[in-house]
Amino acid sequence: MRSSFLKAAAKQLWLPVVVIAALFALTAGSTSFYFPPFSQMLGAMWTGLTEGELVGDLWFSLKNILVGLALAIVAGVLLGLVIGERPTLRRATAPLLDFARATPTIAFVPVIVLTLGIGAAPKVFLIFLGALWPILLNTISGVESINPAVLETARSYRIPWWLRLRRVVLFGALPQIFAGIRVALSVAVVLMVVSEIYGSPIGLGNFILQSGSSFAVPETWGGTILIGILGYALSVVLLVIEFALLGWYHQRAPRAKAVRTMENEVTPA
Amino acid sequence: MSTTTDLVDAPAADPVHAGPAAEPRRSRMLLLQLLCFVGVVVLWELVSLLGLVSASALPSPFETAARFGTLLADGGYWSAVGETLRDAVVGLLAAAVIGVPLGLVTGTYVAAEESSRLLVDFLRSFPVIALLPVFLLVLGSTPSMKQTVVFIACVFPVFLQAQYGARSVPPMIAETVRAYRIPRLLRFRRVILPSATPSIMTGLRLAATTSVLVAIGVEILTTLPGIGHEVTQQQQSGNSDAAFAYIFTAGILGYGINRASMYLETSLMRWRPPAHPS
Repeated sequence: MRSSFLKAAAKQLWLPVVVIAALFALTAGSTSFYFPPFSQMLGAMWTGLTEGELVGDLWFSLKNILVGLALAIVAGVLLGLVIGERPTLRRATAPLLDFARATPTIAFVPVIVLTLGIGAAPKVFLIFLGALWPILLNTISGVESINPAVLETARSYRIPWWLRLRRVVLFGALPQIFAGIRVALSVAVVLMVVSEIYGSPIGLGNFILQSGSSFAVPETWGGTILIGILGYALSVVLLVIEFALLGWYHQRAPRAKAVRTMENEVTPA
Repeated sequence: MSTTTDLVDAPAADPVHAGPAAEPRRSRMLLLQLLCFVGVVVLWELVSLLGLVSASALPSPFETAARFGTLLADGGYWSAVGETLRDAVVGLLAAAVIGVPLGLVTGTYVAAEESSRLLVDFLRSFPVIALLPVFLLVLGSTPSMKQTVVFIACVFPVFLQAQYGARSVPPMIAETVRAYRIPRLLRFRRVILPSATPSIMTGLRLAATTSVLVAIGVEILTTLPGIGHEVTQQQQSGNSDAAFAYIFTAGILGYGINRASMYLETSLMRWRPPAHPS
């Protein structure tokens, strides 16, 4: 059991380790202005985090993502449960929601930032707006995919409306809801970066923009890598939560199913 | 005598149509769907009339529609749409050319899939747009930079779906191929590729919407011409109705691409059960 785990870990880990080692080795003596040594990029990131203002930037970005995402989850799931439960409502709103989803939230960045200013609120609003659609649409299709017999049973036992929504419909749709949140998370990170590059005095996006335009190349790379780590860390955290809540559904590591569920995801646009 | 005419005229006697109840229900649904759109427009107009949100953040829907009409007759509008579409398509094609073969090969060999999983997972969750400052330094503000960013954003969905498709060959068929010692190239062309095609199409559909999205994102943050750049320009010069018209253009493009690729998928995949209903 233990050795098979180690074996699986080794199988998956060797290539990333080789790639990182190769990055270190190949760029070690680099004199190129645009591609400084990898160690220097990481060093710039580290000094930024320990001595510079990068921690403040990271916290600002992270906070906006979490608040925007939380609002989108609450609104999207509630709305999705209500719409998904009524076939007529579901079909009546389908074209409208499809169109809303197809409209890229990224295009709203100039409008929102130019009118609402460069503070945190417009960014939270943008993240909320972008994250809402994948969660809402996945919740609707999750409710739709619940076995009708389950809903019929709940109905024939006259389970109260609120209890049914909470204990039957919500749980039935939960796997799909998580698929939606996973998509929404990547949308949220993108919107965080774009809105901060577009206009912000603080944040990771602003950090890479500022260091890039002042030709501080190692800092630019370092900030970019930090954004990658942030995105990856958030998606791992989400997987852990999903595994804790949906162990009964997956019955195996959700990672193994990650690719498989991709087809069912309603993707952002 | 009236009984016979009644029978003939009655919709229930028509076996070709879906039945008497289906027709009115369908038109009623269309009406409801239309009502939803009207409801949103009315709500939007109310919000902008009452001044709940400043006019620069939310122009009136009718002004936006009027501006949209004049833009359609404008050459600048079409060249902006063309710029965005061209770079999106170039990046998407490059992603398909690289991503599909790579995905098929890594999907066929378990060892390749396992070793690349973590790396791909990390790269996939990377927000590509964050590479923009780096790319601006290295490649400068050029259309080929935009295409590169689109390529990187699109290659992962294409790659992953191709990989997933290659893994979906039924074990029995895979065993048969091995037993008959089918040559490797033939196996790729006639066994793996056909069974992976539906999944590849899904990947391309996802990537197609991503490509336009990323192209617009790059245009917003740089001075490269295109829809995104127009949104910024119009909003900065106070024409928020034109900015909204461009945003809706982006929405129509995204919606159209999604619809068209779904249609293509179902018509190409007629021999298979549909991947998505309707």
